[in-house]
Amino acid sequence: MIPAKVEDVFIEITTNLKGVILKISPGTFAKNNFKLQTSIYKSCDFLEGVLEALEVSKKFLLEGMILVSNKKEYYVDIEMCKCDINVIILIHDRTKVYKFISQLNQNRNDLFFVKRELAEKNKELANLRKIADKANEEKSRFLAMMSHEIRNPLNVILGYSAMISEEQVNNTVKEYSKLLLRSGNNLKVIVNDILDLSRIEAGKFKLLESAVNLKEISENSIRNYTHQNKNSEVTLALEFADNVPTFVFADGVRINQVLSNLLSNALKFTQKGLVSLKVKKISEDEKFVHLSFLISDSGRGMTKEQTTTIFEEYEQNKQSDYRFFGGAGLGLSIVKRLLKEMNGKISVESVLKKGTIFKVDIPFIKIKSKTDLAFTTEKKVLAKSLKGMRILVADDDGLNQTIVAHIFKKEHVILTQVKDGLEAFNALETRVFDIVILDIYMPNITGEQLVQQKHNYKKKNSTIPFLALTANTAPEDLIRYKSIGFKDVIGKPYTASEFLNKIHLVLD
Amino acid sequence: MIAKKVLLVGNFGVGKTSLIRRFVQNKFSEDYISTIGVRVSSKVVEFENNEVKLLIWDVAGTSGDEKIPKAYFLGASAAMFVFDLSRSETYLTIENYIESIKDLSGLKEVTIVGNKRDLLTKEELKTVTDSISVKINIITSAKEDANVEDAFLKLASQALK
Repeated sequence: MIPAKVEDVFIEITTNLKGVILKISPGTFAKNNFKLQTSIYKSCDFLEGVLEALEVSKKFLLEGMILVSNKKEYYVDIEMCKCDINVIILIHDRTKVYKFISQLNQNRNDLFFVKRELAEKNKELANLRKIADKANEEKSRFLAMMSHEIRNPLNVILGYSAMISEEQVNNTVKEYSKLLLRSGNNLKVIVNDILDLSRIEAGKFKLLESAVNLKEISENSIRNYTHQNKNSEVTLALEFADNVPTFVFADGVRINQVLSNLLSNALKFTQKGLVSLKVKKISEDEKFVHLSFLISDSGRGMTKEQTTTIFEEYEQNKQSDYRFFGGAGLGLSIVKRLLKEMNGKISVESVLKKGTIFKVDIPFIKIKSKTDLAFTTEKKVLAKSLKGMRILVADDDGLNQTIVAHIFKKEHVILTQVKDGLEAFNALETRVFDIVILDIYMPNITGEQLVQQKHNYKKKNSTIPFLALTANTAPEDLIRYKSIGFKDVIGKPYTASEFLNKIHLVLD
Repeated sequence: MIAKKVLLVGNFGVGKTSLIRRFVQNKFSEDYISTIGVRVSSKVVEFENNEVKLLIWDVAGTSGDEKIPKAYFLGASAAMFVFDLSRSETYLTIENYIESIKDLSGLKEVTIVGNKRDLLTKEELKTVTDSISVKINIITSAKEDANVEDAFLKLASQALK
């Protein structure tokens, strides 16, 4: 006796070798499908051709066959055994098991196709990224080129404006040249900001950290803006807390850029009162010292809404700000990004018509030993006289040559000016100089090629300092120029004092 | 009328069920439902003045090194290996696969069909067919009903040999 449940999932059928049903026993599964003396192929078409092919006395199993009974599909396993005159067929309903297998199988296959689609999408994304990277590189190259092309004429504008202001001219002309200088300097800031931003966006921005004197940077910032501030109703002040370490590891140029940007903004928007910089220690652990720079002013202040957008690019709170103060509205955005690179942060609190406080927090790496400070003592530029010095300047731009000549005239140097690389090469082979200043892009021989041929020059000229005079001022350019033999780089546009400072530095 | 058992084998998702559905019912669906076990369909075709009832075994697609149960080939007169022209993993080891089918079935010949022609450009198709070392008997598209009938007639001719 077969238990009812088991009976329901089995049926055993005996057929002759041609598939005619001879016996049905035991089991009740799909019983209505099978009738004595009819062909089993009516219900089990998959057995057609199989029964004949079976080997005698050898059990055979067909798994996962589909059998339709009462218009319903069942998954069945078929066990067969053939003897000389007939075939015994055991049909086992395994629908429930196969349903699970089916689901698992479907999931596995679906997963495969999803993974495949994902891989294709990733490939597409990688391609798109490549295109975007290339576009970004193109943009950076374009900006670098544009910067170079702007810096050269800008140098001429600023240089000639400075020269005009030194001449005996009437007040109107003096005023005009002052405005020219101001606009030129604004343009210089914009070009630098755009380049900084593109470098940060392209992931090419790197901090150049060394031990720096924070106190000196803070003092210089305040001194610089005190000097520039023409408004006698605004006072600048510095508070440098006693417990703040004088030296820390940082990128001094960028710290100065952050402070200068914030102080410059504070001064722009303050008509009366105080602009101050306070440097405080927040906390300290074994490795880091967390410092806070508070730049506060008693200026026009901002609304809460304005404080939420001021760190966005090209943002100026009033359209008229652009006309009045210039700039592209990139300064604060760059400050924020620079601070992100330094793992620092910036926040702002402001009250309309009362003033604004920018709070900058930066974790600095501490200076632990004296050896860290070995190379930090900034070179004090000795204002050594250049009188009588033999200086060779090669530049194919006549306007720039005039500016250089004007600066050197006051220094009473023995100046030799040539208009291309070949003339410079000939001069270096035949005459002795104390300093050589080379433009980079020159006809015949470039500045880069010239500096790399030092060994070919008149013996004494092979040991003197060479300076690059160029509008290529990206950090990677400066590193490259120094690596191929330039002692230093004078970046365009330059002021007379910046120009002379560089020369004094290399002579020192 | 002669009845001939024929099998369609190959990796999962290459379109075996779609080819059969197109051939037997002239229908096509974009939905992918994986086949479990074996689904048998039949269609009577006329081949060289003979009426042949093809019992078409749609064997569940395999993956990787999975082997098809030998029992499925019992009494088979012909077999079709289907691969997806747009998925290299379905034809990368085609030579081994064909050899294994021949071993299991005892058949001397296997009809080789590249399906999903509609997913490739002319150039891509050429690259794929050039990269396959064995001779492809027919290129089909169940979706666009291209060469499907021919593929099964080729199978019928193999079954009648």
